[in-house]
Amino acid sequence: MANKLHLETMQINMGPHHPSTHGVCRLILTIDGENIVECVPDIGFLHRSIEKICENRTYAQCIPMMDRFEYVTSMMCNWGFALATEKLTDLVVPERAEYLRVIMGELNRIASHLLCIGVTGLDLGALTPFLYTFREREDILDLFEMTCGQRLTYNYIRIGGVSRDIPPEFFPKCKEFLDKFGEKCDDYEKVLTENPIWIARNRNVGVITEQMVYDYAVSGPSARASGVNFDIRKHDPYSIYDRFDFKVPVFYGGDCYDRYRARMAEMRQSASIVRQALDQMPEGDVRCKVSPKFKPKVGEVYSRVENSRGEMGFHIISDGTVKPFRVRARGGSYNHLLVTPEIVRGLKIADLVAIFASLDIIMPEIDR
Amino acid sequence: MVELVKEFASGIYNLILGMFTTTKHLGRHAITIQYPKERWEIPERSRGMVVLLTDLETGKLNCTGCLLCMKACPSAAISIEVVKDENKKRHVKSFDLNYNICCFCGLCEESCNFAAIKLATKFEFPAWDKKDFQWDIAKLQEMGLDVPYEKPVKKKKAVKKPVVKKPAEDKPAEAKPEDKAEVKTEVKTEDKPAEAPKAEEKPAEEAKPEVTAEDKPAEPKPDEKPADESADKDKKEGEG
Repeated sequence: MANKLHLETMQINMGPHHPSTHGVCRLILTIDGENIVECVPDIGFLHRSIEKICENRTYAQCIPMMDRFEYVTSMMCNWGFALATEKLTDLVVPERAEYLRVIMGELNRIASHLLCIGVTGLDLGALTPFLYTFREREDILDLFEMTCGQRLTYNYIRIGGVSRDIPPEFFPKCKEFLDKFGEKCDDYEKVLTENPIWIARNRNVGVITEQMVYDYAVSGPSARASGVNFDIRKHDPYSIYDRFDFKVPVFYGGDCYDRYRARMAEMRQSASIVRQALDQMPEGDVRCKVSPKFKPKVGEVYSRVENSRGEMGFHIISDGTVKPFRVRARGGSYNHLLVTPEIVRGLKIADLVAIFASLDIIMPEIDR
Repeated sequence: MVELVKEFASGIYNLILGMFTTTKHLGRHAITIQYPKERWEIPERSRGMVVLLTDLETGKLNCTGCLLCMKACPSAAISIEVVKDENKKRHVKSFDLNYNICCFCGLCEESCNFAAIKLATKFEFPAWDKKDFQWDIAKLQEMGLDVPYEKPVKKKKAVKKPVVKKPAEDKPAEAKPEDKAEVKTEVKTEDKPAEAPKAEEKPAEEAKPEVTAEDKPAEPKPDEKPADESADKDKKEGEG
């Protein structure tokens, strides 16, 4: 039909300033009516050359830069960089600091997933879950501000520990939050999970097959929603994750709906990890003595952490001076953006919004 | 047909369930804060405005001009000028802070051994002009007058060791004493993979000297080395 009428495809830009592109991403869409024929992501609008900046900073000064590398889960970025540097120097982190790192990391994972779920709802026209999730996210940010003084760029996890111990009022507040969090999760599920509109917009939309996961190196909850049981916390445990009892939720649909469910299940697991860590936490130092201008030995290292949107790795090459020779960061979002053109082909533009939101793509992680 | 009815029924049920969840919030009060009139509590540790602290008994700044905060700053927002008098005592001539590039990381506060610089909980300091964000020593002191802080004695103990270590490491320009043995063995084996990317990243390499050249004028070069030594003296005096 289309050929008979000589209908032409049209090229339009989605973004860079589109509210649902979560940052500044331009998608060049070739559309036939409402259907997407081709989608080419154009990245680089947020490039701040953080990797290059790190080459001119000492290792301690790199940590505030990592806050800006991926600002939704800054704790994980700090953690990943600190972990890589500690691997390079064979530093042993105090026990209490490890527990604090786990608590902060998991709380940050919950905050990030809340943001993702809320914003997905917002992009699909459901305003209520957005307000609900941000209410809980606010509580977590309050906990962070109480501990490290900032709400977004924490600069908390340092090389050799954490910047300071938690204040005494942290424990009751955190427990209070965890106690009510399960209930709140039920609330989100009531509003979203079985909602017919939500299901119609999400189920069988943007299916990532298991083969695609391997081809594009999709990681994190998006991979686990496609039936790949891989979680770095479980299968290549770093820090003290082998001490906690938690499950890795795996779903087999691979569509937006299962990605949402994977995030929902993961949040409950994270809450249980935080609870275990609070119970087991020992007393003691939170930071081992590291000079602000320490020199790691010559060599290179790659270390990875499980971020809320996939594998986050740091490759550091050290030439034995106070500054790293090269820092290379890997975030999960880049692979997720690459897989997007594959899965949106033939779908409607409105579906692209759902896919983009459910993959939880954060642009600063891609542009660095 | 039966399935369709079932789907319809569950759809209606879940819509009502969702509506019921949202209705729970109908009767409660709004939680919005009318900002300029009402204010929320800001935690003690909150990192806001950078201020210089004054010893209220003597009325002098706590700052000794050791330049540690200037070196710790990742964005080079702090620039300090120090002059020495005849007795080789150090006086802070100027202390400028550029809020345009300050990233509020708090590394300056952490590096300070004398409780001289602090990130206060104040956060409201808007200005019309970019120039107004370059604060000099008088303004920084004025803003810090009402900021409570711990006595410097306590702080010194907490950060004493890593700072004393530093000059010993800097001078011989070698790795940590603990790592020495391992470094020697690893240099030979791991140098090659480290050099391989060097060749590939030539443009990156070329850009490097430029950036460092830009960085250096920010730090007064001739002052640096004597400053370090006298900073150590200060510390020793403080300890004694």
